[in-house]
Amino acid sequence: MRNRNGWQRVVVEGAAILKGMAVTLRHLFRPPVTVQYPERRPRVAGRYKGRHWLTLYADGTERCVGCELCVIVCPSQAIYVKAAENTPERRVSRGERYAEEFQINMLRCIFCGFCEEACPTGAIVLGRDFELADYRREALIYTKSMLQEPYPGASGRDPNREV
Amino acid sequence: MSTVTLTINGRTVTVPKGTTVYHAARQLGVEIPIFCYHDRMPPLGACRMCFVQVEKMPRLQTSCTLEAQEGMVVWTESPTVVEARRAILEFLLINHPLDCPICDKGGECPLQDNTFKYGPGASRFVEPKRRFPKAVRLSPVLTLDRERCIMCWRCTRFGEVVAGDHALKGHDRGYRTHIDVPPVTQERPSKFIGNTIAICPVGALTSGVYRFRARPWDNRPVASVCNHCGVGCATWVDARGGEVVRVRAREKAEVNDIWLCDLGFFGYDYTQHPDRLTTPYVRERGVLREASWEEALDRVAHALGEAAPRVAALGGERLTVEEAYLLGRLFRSLGSNHVDARADARFTPSAREWAWGSGTFQALESAAVLVLVGCDLTEEYPVLWLRAKRALDRGLVGVAISPKRLEVEPYLKCSVLHDYGAEADVLYAAACLVGERAGGLPEPLREVDVDESCRRAGVDRAAVEELVRCLEAGPAVFAVGRLSWDGPHPERTLAALQTLQAVHGGQVWVLRGKGNAVGALLAGLVPDALPGLVALDDPQARARLHEVWGFAPPEEPGLSTPAMLEACAAGALRVLYVAGADPARDFPDGALWHRARAGLQLLVVTELFWTDTARQADVVLPALSIFEREGTVVNLEGRPQRVAPSRMGPPGARADGEILQVLAARLGRPMEYASVGAVWAELRRAAPQLDLDRPTELPRPRPQVEYRRPAAAGRQEEGLWVIPAAPLFRQGEMSARSRGLPELAGTPAVVLHAQDAAALGVDDGAEVELRAGDAVARVRAEVADRARPGHVLVPVGFSQLPRARWANPELRVRIRVLEGVSR
Ligand code: SF4
Ligand code: SF4
Ligand code: SF4
Ligand code: SF4
Ligand code: FES
Repeated sequence: MRNRNGWQRVVVEGAAILKGMAVTLRHLFRPPVTVQYPERRPRVAGRYKGRHWLTLYADGTERCVGCELCVIVCPSQAIYVKAAENTPERRVSRGERYAEEFQINMLRCIFCGFCEEACPTGAIVLGRDFELADYRREALIYTKSMLQEPYPGASGRDPNREV
Repeated sequence: MSTVTLTINGRTVTVPKGTTVYHAARQLGVEIPIFCYHDRMPPLGACRMCFVQVEKMPRLQTSCTLEAQEGMVVWTESPTVVEARRAILEFLLINHPLDCPICDKGGECPLQDNTFKYGPGASRFVEPKRRFPKAVRLSPVLTLDRERCIMCWRCTRFGEVVAGDHALKGHDRGYRTHIDVPPVTQERPSKFIGNTIAICPVGALTSGVYRFRARPWDNRPVASVCNHCGVGCATWVDARGGEVVRVRAREKAEVNDIWLCDLGFFGYDYTQHPDRLTTPYVRERGVLREASWEEALDRVAHALGEAAPRVAALGGERLTVEEAYLLGRLFRSLGSNHVDARADARFTPSAREWAWGSGTFQALESAAVLVLVGCDLTEEYPVLWLRAKRALDRGLVGVAISPKRLEVEPYLKCSVLHDYGAEADVLYAAACLVGERAGGLPEPLREVDVDESCRRAGVDRAAVEELVRCLEAGPAVFAVGRLSWDGPHPERTLAALQTLQAVHGGQVWVLRGKGNAVGALLAGLVPDALPGLVALDDPQARARLHEVWGFAPPEEPGLSTPAMLEACAAGALRVLYVAGADPARDFPDGALWHRARAGLQLLVVTELFWTDTARQADVVLPALSIFEREGTVVNLEGRPQRVAPSRMGPPGARADGEILQVLAARLGRPMEYASVGAVWAELRRAAPQLDLDRPTELPRPRPQVEYRRPAAAGRQEEGLWVIPAAPLFRQGEMSARSRGLPELAGTPAVVLHAQDAAALGVDDGAEVELRAGDAVARVRAEVADRARPGHVLVPVGFSQLPRARWANPELRVRIRVLEGVSR
C-alpha cells in the first residue's frame, strides 16, 4: 500500500464515508421492505418454496405413485412413504403403485425443494404457504390427508400439466 | 495348469487357460457391464452388453464368451466400445416401459445402473412400444412384467442349469418372445423361484410377497441365517421400521453359495403375524386364561421344583444352541437327564452313534457317488439339492433308493423304487453284489439271498445290479433321509447301510432334523450324552461340567422321546417342558402323545403361536422368533453360524434363554450370564469341538458287516400302505402364517398308483375318503406313477392330514371315492 500523509488520508477516507452515507440516505426515502406481520401479509415470490402439496390429476387420481424418490433425495430425511398396490376396484393412482401412507416432518424439512425436483410425476410441490407454526411437535408431522390437495388444482398448480 | 497372458487396456494380466476375457478384466479390476452372463452359469452371449474391442479381430467381441488367448490385446473403453454400449442400451430400452418409479427393482437394478453409467441420456425412439399385460402373477410369490424383460435368459437357464426344475421357459419368437411358466410348474410350484427374482437383472421378475413394501434405501440389512430346514443358508434379512420385509441370500460358498429356497425366501412374514402370542397363559379349571409373567413363571418354577427330578424337556429346533444348552443345563440341575431335541421322531437311537446331521456339504464335490436312501432332498433340504446338482453336473453319480419317486430322478444315474420299509433289502442285496464282485463275501452276508431280497423289496434284480454298477465309481455319500428314518424299520436300514458302507466305503449322512435340531443335540439336549455329545460317564467331561456348573449332571441316562412320552403316560414323569417343538402335531404316534399329555401334571410350552401342543398346555409362554434374538444356530454339517435380530419381538414375548434364566433363578439354581456371548463361551468350554463357522464332526458307528433278518411278515393288513411325504411348504404354524407359502403348498392330494386307482375306481382328481382306524380324511386323489402299487403317498402336515395321525409308518388306509363330489 502506498504511504499517504495525514491530509491525503482525510480526503480519501472521508470520501468513502460520504459514499456510504449517500446509500443510507437514499434508502431513508424509499418505502420500507419490512411488513407489519401479522397485521399485514407479505407477498411471496412466484417460486417461493413453502408448505408441500400432493397434487392430483384433473380426473381426481393421485399423481403420487409412492416411488419414494422424494424420500431418498430429501437431505433432512423428512419424508416417509409406504406404498401399496392399486386394485381394479380401487384405483388410487395411475400405474400399479400408490402411496398408502405419506408423511412429511415439517420440523425437519428445510424447504430445499429437492423432493419436488426428484418427483417423476410432479406429485409433490412446494406451495406458497409459510405459516406452519404450531404448539405441538406431532402436529407438524403432516400426514397424507393433510398434504393432499382437496381438489385438483387447489394447490395452485395446473392439474393438466405434464409433470 | 497352463496360463495365458493378455493385455487389457494396456495392462497385462496372466490367467489360467480357459478364462474368459470378462473374468480376466475383472481380475484386473476393470469393470465390463453385463446382463445375461452370470458366473454360476455358463456364458450365453445373448445380450451383447459386454462388448470389448480386440485388436486383429474385425468386429467387437462379447467378452463373456470370448476365451482369453495368449497375446490378445483388449480395449474395454475405446470409442467404438463406448459407442456400441450406448447403442445396445438404447436398443434394450426401445421396448422398455421406463416405469422405474413403480418398479420394485428400482434402486438396485443393473439396467438402471448400466444405463446411468454407459447409456445414452435420451432415446430417439418415438414409436409406440410393445405392450404386454403388466404385473402378471405367475405364482403366489412371483410377479412377471414382460414389458421390462430384456430377454437375458438368466431365469430360464437358472431352471435348467442350477435347479433343474425348468420352472420358467421362453415362449414365442422374435418381437413377441416372452417368459412364461410351462405346464409342469403350474402343476408343481418350483422350490427355487426366489433365486430367479434375485438374478433377474431388471424388474421383470419381482417378489409377490415383498411387492411395494419398501425401497432398498428403506431397508436395514442384517446378516443372519435361515432356520427353517437344517441346511442353514446364510441370509440377509431386510427390515424396515420393525417389520421384516424381505429375506435375501448371503453368499456363503461352503453352505448355500448364493442361493436360497423359497421357504427361506418367503417364510418370514410369520414373525410379524397378528396371531403371535404376546402374553403368557395358564390353565385354570380346565381353560387357558391370560396371566402375568410373574404368575406363569411362578407356576412353572413351583411345579418343576416339586416334581424334580421327575421332569423332562423336549424340543430345540427353534431354539439357538445357547438356549438349548441352557435348557439342558437347567434340567440337569434338577437331576433329570430326560431331555431330547428329537421331538418328532419315533426312532431315537443313541445320538453318540447316530447323531442327526451330515458331513461337510463340500464332501459332495469330492465323493464319487451320492446315494439317497429314502431322502427326498428337494422337499426336505432344498438348497442341498442345488449343491448336489452342481456336483452331479461335474461328475458325481447320483443314485436313489426310495419308496417314493423323487422329483430329481431325471438327474440320477439310477433309481430303485422299492416297497415302503424295504430299503434294507435293497441295501443288503447291493452289499452282496458288491462283496461278490470284490471277490469275497463276508460271512454274515452269505445268508442273504439276493433274489429273495429283491422280491421282498419289490424291485428287479437288474435295478440293484445297475445300482451296484453306479457304485463302482468310487466312495459314496449315503444320505439317509426321513422316508427311511421315520419308516417302518429304521434299525435294519441303518444296519444294512453300515454293511454296504463296510463293503464299499464312504460315509453316512443322517439328513434329519429341521432348524437348529443338530445344534440342540450338540448343545446337550440328548438323554444319553453331555454337551458336545460326550459320553455321560466320561469322568473328564463330568469334572469339567462340575467346575463350570457347580454340580455334575446325573449319571443315569435319561429317556429319549418315545420312552419319555411313555413315562409321562405312566405318571413316572410329572412335568414336561416343550420349547420350540410341536409334538402334539408332529410326533407320529398321536395316541401315545395323548396318553402322555393325560398323565402329566403340568405341560409347559414356549411358543410363537397357538400350536396343537400349546392348546393342550397348562402354561403357555410367548417366545421370540429367530428374527428377534441373537445367538448361534447349527446346520446339518454341525456348522455354528450367528443369527442376529432384525426386529423387536412383540411386546410381552421373551427369548427362551431369558425365560430359562429366570426359571433357574426361581428354582435356586441360578444361571447368570452377562450376554448371549457368555453362554456361547461357556458352551465352547463344554463342547470345544464347536467352532464358529466350522463343521463339526458328528459321531458315527464304525462300519461293520451285520445281517439283520427282516421282521417276520406281520398279518397282511388290508388297504394301501401310507407313505407319509412331508411337503416343503407345509412345515408347521410358521410357514402357514407366512404370506405366499400356504398358496404354494396348495391343497393336499394323495397320490395313487394307476393300478390301485383302477381297482378302487378312483379317477385322477376325484375326491376320496381315507380311513385308517378312527382317522378319517377327505382329500383329492391324484393318479400318478410316484410309488409302487399298493402304496399311497399322503402329504402329511396339512391340517386335515396331521402327522400325528397319518405319519405312522405302519399305517394302512382304505380309500373310498366320494360320490357326487366333483373337484
Ligand atoms: S423440501 Fe427438501 S427437506 Fe423438505 S421434504 Fe422436500 S426434499 Fe426434504
Ligand atoms: S411424491 Fe413423487 S417422488 Fe415422492 S413418492 Fe410420490 S411420486 Fe414418488
Ligand atoms: S425375466 Fe428377467 S431374468 Fe428372465 S429373461 Fe427376462 S430379464 Fe432375464
Ligand atoms: S434350504 Fe433350508 S436353510 Fe436354506 S433357505 Fe431353504 S429352508 Fe432355509
Ligand atoms: S453379458 Fe456377454 S453377451 Fe450378455
